[in-house]
Amino acid sequence: MISVTANAQLPRERAQTDGPIENTFWATTNIGISTVQNVDKHNLESSVMHTFGLVRGGIDTFYGLDDGANTKIGLDYGISNKFSVGISRMTFNKVVDLRGKYNILRQTRSGSVTVDLAIKSSLGISTLSGVGLGFNERLSYFTSVMIARKSDRMSLQLTPMIAHFNAPVAGNPHQLFGLGVLTSYELNNRLALSAEYLPVIGQRNAFSKDALAVALNINTGGHVFQLFLASSQWHNEQYIMANNRDAFWKGEFRFGFNIHRVFGSGGD
Amino acid sequence: MIINSLLCCFLLFLQLAATHPIDPADTVYYSDSGFVEFTSSVPMHSFSGKSEQLNGMIDFEENIIDFYIDLTTLKTGIGKRDRDMYQTLNTEEHPFAEFTGSFEAPSPIPDQRTKVTAIGEFTINGVTKEVEVQGFIEPNEEGLLLEAKWSLLLSDYDIEPPGILFYRVDDTQEIRIQLVLKPTSRQELTAENETGA
Repeated sequence: MISVTANAQLPRERAQTDGPIENTFWATTNIGISTVQNVDKHNLESSVMHTFGLVRGGIDTFYGLDDGANTKIGLDYGISNKFSVGISRMTFNKVVDLRGKYNILRQTRSGSVTVDLAIKSSLGISTLSGVGLGFNERLSYFTSVMIARKSDRMSLQLTPMIAHFNAPVAGNPHQLFGLGVLTSYELNNRLALSAEYLPVIGQRNAFSKDALAVALNINTGGHVFQLFLASSQWHNEQYIMANNRDAFWKGEFRFGFNIHRVFGSGGD
Repeated sequence: MIINSLLCCFLLFLQLAATHPIDPADTVYYSDSGFVEFTSSVPMHSFSGKSEQLNGMIDFEENIIDFYIDLTTLKTGIGKRDRDMYQTLNTEEHPFAEFTGSFEAPSPIPDQRTKVTAIGEFTINGVTKEVEVQGFIEPNEEGLLLEAKWSLLLSDYDIEPPGILFYRVDDTQEIRIQLVLKPTSRQELTAENETGA
């Protein structure tokens, strides 16, 4: 029998009594919009994103899967625990996206900091050939501020954003403003529901609609899978604001899925 | 003259106090920077998590062994995996893994590498089980080097191995610890802990 009394034990002390709230979102992208979640120092996140045709195409299009996917493949690397850089490439317009994300504030467990605050900037370069565009005309710029808070299992993020297109289609504005509203609810350690809404504020492109998407997130421990229904077939925020022409509530949504995987790359 | 004599006596006393060996009856062996490593397997590969913040104390006089670690100091090299691990281990509610027990066969402080068996209670995720751990103790310049290895089953501690369908972390975790425990006065340690608490 063990004859050790509580008095004989070392006093248990936490190594850190405070720290950031973890897993505000499970991935760096909620569905199509970036989250405050960043890639950790010396970690590399790979992401593959697909969106298909409209579900209402029915069995003839296998509910949109026959209509071809807009695929985005991306890599993001954590320079520090607060700053990451990334690159991706999307099928539509063959856009190459260069981006950086910086966490200014992290919500703490003690409540000494009540929100997460991050900023993201990106440069989109359309590499579509045969359209007679000069380099400058192919560029778009994007900046967003992400403000998020997690309470228990529920996370909410507001993302005011601005996009600038050097050469929009005639009649469309150069600049677009939007306010992304993101939410996530953890059902348990493995499953979470999430949603996002992206209304364009002020001037908008002709025929464009505000984007809406809902998703089921599956965390396997190694991968995060996001299975979603979304109105937009586009990926990067500026292109979602500019080009989404489908209205979710009118049944104009499509199936899509994202796969996120983080790799360690040595170092501390 | 008298002042000089008193000063000399005082300095001599200080020197003697500094060089006087610690009373063995009052000595425990202690470390707050021990190394701990676990190795997990998933289909087709394995990964490990490490920490250098293992706290440990051995009291040979009372035959007491006590170790604990703040699980959030374990790092696997991938931040997301660490966060998932903390969630799986329920560190918000139960931040420590701890072992308290005694040597199966009480013995004096070993003067050479000696195989030892500890029997005690291991607690993680708020679940306590009696375990038997074998290891080695070896004296070195700083104190005593302790090395031990054992396996635990996550399911014994109500921990669900993360994964999906057939792609799951194995239930068995290999644990390895290594630390140098330095001789410390029991009173000093108590005072230090009281001050630190």
